[in-house]
Amino acid sequence: MRHFALALATSLVALCSANGLAYAQTAGGIVDVATIGEPPTLDPMASTADLVGIVSQHMFETLYTFDAQWGTTPLLAAAMPEISEDGTVYTIPLRTGIKFHDDSVMTSADVVASLERWMKIATRGKQAAEVITDIAATDDATVTITLSKPYAPLLPLLAFNNAAAIIIPAANASQDPLESFIGTGPYKLEQRVPDQYIQLVRFDGYQSLEGEGNGYGGARHQYLDEIRFVPVPDPNTRIGAAVAGQYDYVDQLPVEAFDQISGGATEPVVFAPFGWPVFMMNHSEGLASDIRVRKAIQAALAPEDMLFAAFGSDEFFTAEGAWYPEGYAWHSDVGTEAYKPMGDTETAKALLAEAGYDGSKPLRILTSRQYEFHYKMALVAQSYLEAAGFKVQMDVVEWATLTTNRADPALWDVYITHSPFLPEPSLMGIMSDTGPGWWVSDAKHKVLEAFNAESDPAKRAELFVEVQKVIYDEVPGYKVGNFNALAAQNPALDGVTPAPWPYFWNAYLTE
Amino acid sequence: MIRSALNRIFGMLVVMALVVTIVFVIVRVTPGDPAAVMLGPDATAADIASLRQRLGLDASIPQQFISYVGGVLRGDFGQSIFLNMPVTTALMQRAEPTFFLTIFALLIATLIALPVGVLSAYWRGSAFDQAATALAMFAASVPSFWLGLIFMQVFAVQLGWFDTSGYGGPGASFGERMHHLVLPATTLGLISSALITRFTRASMLDVLNDDYVRTARSKGMSEWRVVVKHALKNALIPILTVIGLTAALLISGAIVTETVFGLPGVGSLIVSAVLRRDYPLIQGALLVVAGLYVLVNFIIDMLYLLVDPRVRY
Repeated sequence: MRHFALALATSLVALCSANGLAYAQTAGGIVDVATIGEPPTLDPMASTADLVGIVSQHMFETLYTFDAQWGTTPLLAAAMPEISEDGTVYTIPLRTGIKFHDDSVMTSADVVASLERWMKIATRGKQAAEVITDIAATDDATVTITLSKPYAPLLPLLAFNNAAAIIIPAANASQDPLESFIGTGPYKLEQRVPDQYIQLVRFDGYQSLEGEGNGYGGARHQYLDEIRFVPVPDPNTRIGAAVAGQYDYVDQLPVEAFDQISGGATEPVVFAPFGWPVFMMNHSEGLASDIRVRKAIQAALAPEDMLFAAFGSDEFFTAEGAWYPEGYAWHSDVGTEAYKPMGDTETAKALLAEAGYDGSKPLRILTSRQYEFHYKMALVAQSYLEAAGFKVQMDVVEWATLTTNRADPALWDVYITHSPFLPEPSLMGIMSDTGPGWWVSDAKHKVLEAFNAESDPAKRAELFVEVQKVIYDEVPGYKVGNFNALAAQNPALDGVTPAPWPYFWNAYLTE
Repeated sequence: MIRSALNRIFGMLVVMALVVTIVFVIVRVTPGDPAAVMLGPDATAADIASLRQRLGLDASIPQQFISYVGGVLRGDFGQSIFLNMPVTTALMQRAEPTFFLTIFALLIATLIALPVGVLSAYWRGSAFDQAATALAMFAASVPSFWLGLIFMQVFAVQLGWFDTSGYGGPGASFGERMHHLVLPATTLGLISSALITRFTRASMLDVLNDDYVRTARSKGMSEWRVVVKHALKNALIPILTVIGLTAALLISGAIVTETVFGLPGVGSLIVSAVLRRDYPLIQGALLVVAGLYVLVNFIIDMLYLLVDPRVRY
């Protein structure tokens, strides 16, 4: 019955998404969206937090965005860029007549000022700034970006919705923190009462792309009059709200609440697969700086049991070692032989013996209960690691402490985090030399540089296989598997496509 | 009386100075960094360091303390890091739900506790007394988040009489906002009623055996007048103390209840400020809560002076 309900819910959502346009869309109505909390800021350049991206993507737009297949597609740009032969000059044509929420018209000067702010403020902008040598307005409707070397992640970075390269009026580009939330998006900020609601209303001057919606790209219809994001931080309260039908959409529910929600006033929405939990390894100091220890950890862990403990049922996870699941261009099983769903204690023991580990020094696992599934996975991991001969020390702190402690290599050997599947592999934390984990190696640099320099998507997919192989060889992190996300949706709300960062343009109410 | 009041005011100032210092130190030595929280999970160490500098968090703790205390003495509690507004404005915005939640909860607690406590004492050892004692013990031991979730499940999810959370959307009327307070106020009120019930009972038992009560009865006074006019009036001092302290405790008790019911009050503001490590907001909010606590104690002490002139400080 449970299988049937899950399949039905998933199919219903898929059906409604695919055939959304078959229903009569009517304009009007207010949609209340329960979120996991209050975003730390509404400036999408200033934070990489998902919640910031979820809310702000309705107000601000980027030059490019992602289509349903996670390819980059124009949004405020008029077309894909013209890239010079040597891959270092991107000429980007802009759409004309695009209005900001203050009714001023977007020009290349606004784009240049915005991208300069992005390079100065945004984490991902700073990443791009390492290769950008110049951003210039060629004319009112054209911008040229010059790079010091070919850099394929540039377009995904320009398209991403967190630490996002949003386009704002040049006059506001010097604001830090941002105080005027003026974008070009389909909805504009009407009122923000922190911890109570963020009220967005339809921007009548919005110019949508033609045609149909396509992932985050394509047409953005404004059927709804208002979208209100309401913080409901307590997960039990979100479950109660979903069952009672208080909100039109309830984000990020614990998957074990699926049955409860199925019997309530809203319908469960399963987004599969949503993301991956990962055990990050400390290359800089401590036990995990020894590759044999990292490989022993890799061998010892039993992802099937860890995921089962974390998500309760195999309907909500897949034990899969490939860093991207099927459906992504980056998916490949090549190089994942070391991933053993039930673990390999004997190999782990042998690797530990080879490393000369005598059990006197504990392996410190840094985790929190902010995300209960992190903690549950850690408990199972502890048992398997101990069976392999590790002495394990669990450091369970709350999330803000974890974000501080993980920056100090002296404080941990392994820390637990998770991520949605990012459209561009270069955006993953382990790809950065300076991110917590501090994975730096010649092999990494070699495969990553080749991957980043290639602009042909098919060749990039082949090159990512090499990156994945090196990840398994050097174990900068241990991907536990794929897990699904659960949300709840008012049956009268239609046109919402399940997405890692849910969006509500193109959504409409049917009753 | 004026001398006593001045002594108490001086004591209050000392307590507040200690609170400022202790809260500041605890907040700064607690691990966690507002810059890391604000920038999100993928921020680099360099980004975090740069934001810390912009927020003035790279200065030494003594420097930050001197600057903070200077601000407080001028009435400036600083700027909330995340809300990008003065701490006083943020607190004022959240004062309404907490204020009404506390008032309603206290009202519910008192309306339940006074009659139950008086009757328990009057019918000491009876079935009513035993039932009231058992219920009071249950209410005193039940966690507010659990009771809140039960109320939510029954009255919001099953019966649909109330919303599960929130304080009304844009343009919500006063009545709609108060409607959102019914479940959290009942949760807090029921829990708080336990303490007041027990104190009322104990205090009434003390006075019901006193000579003046016997004298009043022997004069043929009605039981109602004996209990209410003579006994209860004299039992009120300790009860008043407990009600006052309960009011102060309710403000801190609201922290959990507001979080469960998603009420944007001072309690949930403190929780989110702590989770985000919004230092100025944590300091300002705790200072206000401590100030209210001290103020309530001061008012109780002054009421003692009025009710019983023999009391001196």
